[in-house]
Amino acid sequence: MINRRHLLLGTTALLATPSLVRPALAITPAEIKAKGKLVVGIQGDNPPWGFVNTSGKQEGFDADIGELFAKELGVPVEFVPLAVANRIPALTAGRVDILFATMAMLPDRAKAVQYSEPYVANIISLVAPKSTVVKTNADMGKLTIGVPRSSVQDTQITKNAPEGTVIRRFDDDAATIQALISGQVQAVGGNMFYVQRLNTAKPDTYEDKLEFTRLYNGACTRLGEKEINVAVNAFIDKIKANGELAKAYQKWMKLSPPTFPASVEGVPFTVG
Amino acid sequence: MGLPQFLFLIEGLKWTLALVAIAFVGGTVAGLSVALARTSGIRVLERATAGYIALFQGTPLLMQLFVVYYGLALAGLRLDAWVAVAAGFTLHASAYLGEIWRGSIEAVPWGQIEAARALNLRYLVRMRHVVMPQALRISMPATIGFLVQLLKGTSLAAIVGFTELTRAGSIVSNQIFEPLTVFAIVGALYFALCWPLSIWGTRIERRLATATR
Amino acid sequence: MNYKLDFTPIVDGLPILLGGCLGTLGLALGGMVLAIVIGIGGVVLRNSRIRALRWAVVGFVELIRNTPFLVQIYFIFFALPLAGIRLDPTPTAIIALGINGGAYAIEIIRGGVQAIGKGQIEAGLALALHRMQVFRLIVLKPALRSIYPSLVSQFILLTLTTSVASAVSAYELTSVAQTIESNSFRSFEVYGTVTVFYFAMSWLLMRMFGLIHAHYLSYPLK
Repeated sequence: MINRRHLLLGTTALLATPSLVRPALAITPAEIKAKGKLVVGIQGDNPPWGFVNTSGKQEGFDADIGELFAKELGVPVEFVPLAVANRIPALTAGRVDILFATMAMLPDRAKAVQYSEPYVANIISLVAPKSTVVKTNADMGKLTIGVPRSSVQDTQITKNAPEGTVIRRFDDDAATIQALISGQVQAVGGNMFYVQRLNTAKPDTYEDKLEFTRLYNGACTRLGEKEINVAVNAFIDKIKANGELAKAYQKWMKLSPPTFPASVEGVPFTVG
Repeated sequence: MGLPQFLFLIEGLKWTLALVAIAFVGGTVAGLSVALARTSGIRVLERATAGYIALFQGTPLLMQLFVVYYGLALAGLRLDAWVAVAAGFTLHASAYLGEIWRGSIEAVPWGQIEAARALNLRYLVRMRHVVMPQALRISMPATIGFLVQLLKGTSLAAIVGFTELTRAGSIVSNQIFEPLTVFAIVGALYFALCWPLSIWGTRIERRLATATR
Repeated sequence: MNYKLDFTPIVDGLPILLGGCLGTLGLALGGMVLAIVIGIGGVVLRNSRIRALRWAVVGFVELIRNTPFLVQIYFIFFALPLAGIRLDPTPTAIIALGINGGAYAIEIIRGGVQAIGKGQIEAGLALALHRMQVFRLIVLKPALRSIYPSLVSQFILLTLTTSVASAVSAYELTSVAQTIESNSFRSFEVYGTVTVFYFAMSWLLMRMFGLIHAHYLSYPLK
């Protein structure tokens, strides 16, 4: 049984912890080589971007790119599967060296992490059963919409849906998709693969209703870490030129890579 | 659900067991120190450990995991995700086990300690040969009860992205879209682990109750 | 890179964090009430003459106590709709908490009732006390007194368990914290602060339960 004095002591102990906090170490390609492995933060449950397959192996588009980058550096790769909301904290806290984790380029995020050049494009849309009528953004107002907490879908739905729309935020894509299948939500904010995955569960039931935005994803490193940013940009230029990127695109999306923009507003690709 | 999916769940189960084992072993060592400090008679130690226990018993396990997970990294310790998660569970276990064992140390009749003192036994000898054997016996039901809590608690590692049994379950459920089946199987696997432990705990409790009657 | 602690997002988000605290307390109190109802009902059924009912209660208690809360709440939220039962996040959370706490409450209350000697009840009746008086003074109060500490610990645990309800998008402190964290990326600061909030809430509840004890359950001093 706990009493008041003990609770107060506990609070003091907790408040005292920040004094232990020291800066996380910066990492350079040379240090990664010395350390002997590249630790990549990736999504663990979002096929075909990044997912752990049923034999426990990390797979997907991002996994292929992460592996190529590790090969470029000449070290083996280690994947750390992350929940959507954990991606940036895991990077800034030093849990991973770099993110290849479906990180869409957003100005807000660019204040917290350093983006590379874009290496893949993503379409964010509203996905619902075919029988649901949604023609305009205003139509979303009468729906209960599920999104993965703090994902691009979250940002886009929150921005585009009318005031008062019920938005439910789940821990990840898995739970969000689950919520739509269970009927706990009537629509979800999804990316270009949601429909394909949902229709595997219930064939011919779901479709894209509204397209919100086309986003470009980049690799992310910590702010101010110049060497690794230069290395990853050089690597992305290389795979765009030598066809490796097109190969991954074909393998996972059955598409050819789009033309990538030279700049994205509010998101610098290099350490300034 | 096919065999590969089931094997994937079993793979997750292995991590669940590994986490429990680490947390329990680590928690036992640290918890024993907490319990001894808490009953040491030294005021500063007693107060500090009381605060430590209150902190962990007064906050959600999920928050403890989050704070340790991000806090350790900010403190400059670059650990693998699973080491950080294991550290979180170990700290959690040490506080709960410390409190359970404090209770059972104090439940050993005072006269025995005085008798041991009268025989001029030193603290370590007294603890090792007189107090702890009895205290451990008294604490068995509560210790086993906590072990069950800990086993179930590891499911929260799923929320910080650690692929143990529960997260393996949501990944499989997301690939084969049969939530009912998957969650039933995941629940059954936890049950298969926890139930025998619970029965064991109840049995020991009953035996202790009849012994002291 | 230097990581500097920055608490501004938390200061800015204070109103919604406090709202989250209210959400948490609401879920916790709802869960406690339901747990008590299930606990008392369970004990009554557990002592029923019908064997099947007794076994059903035992099965319920064992099932709930030996599976994780996260699995239970997932099951209610994601799987029950397939059986035609669809509940919103908040009712889902309260029911899951009530069922979970109820299973423990059944065991705790049963222990308290068993501890009352038959002789005491007979003595009370022999003293010509009214049946209601016997129940109130000899059965209920002593039983409550003996189970109160365990019940309180269980309720504090239940309050802390509400944090898991964020997984089904229920509105409570953890989900609010995750929203602030995802907008500010200040994970350590946010979760550290929220941990203090939870601590304060458990303290508050401990005080409340302490006062209730002092008022209704302490031994008369005269």
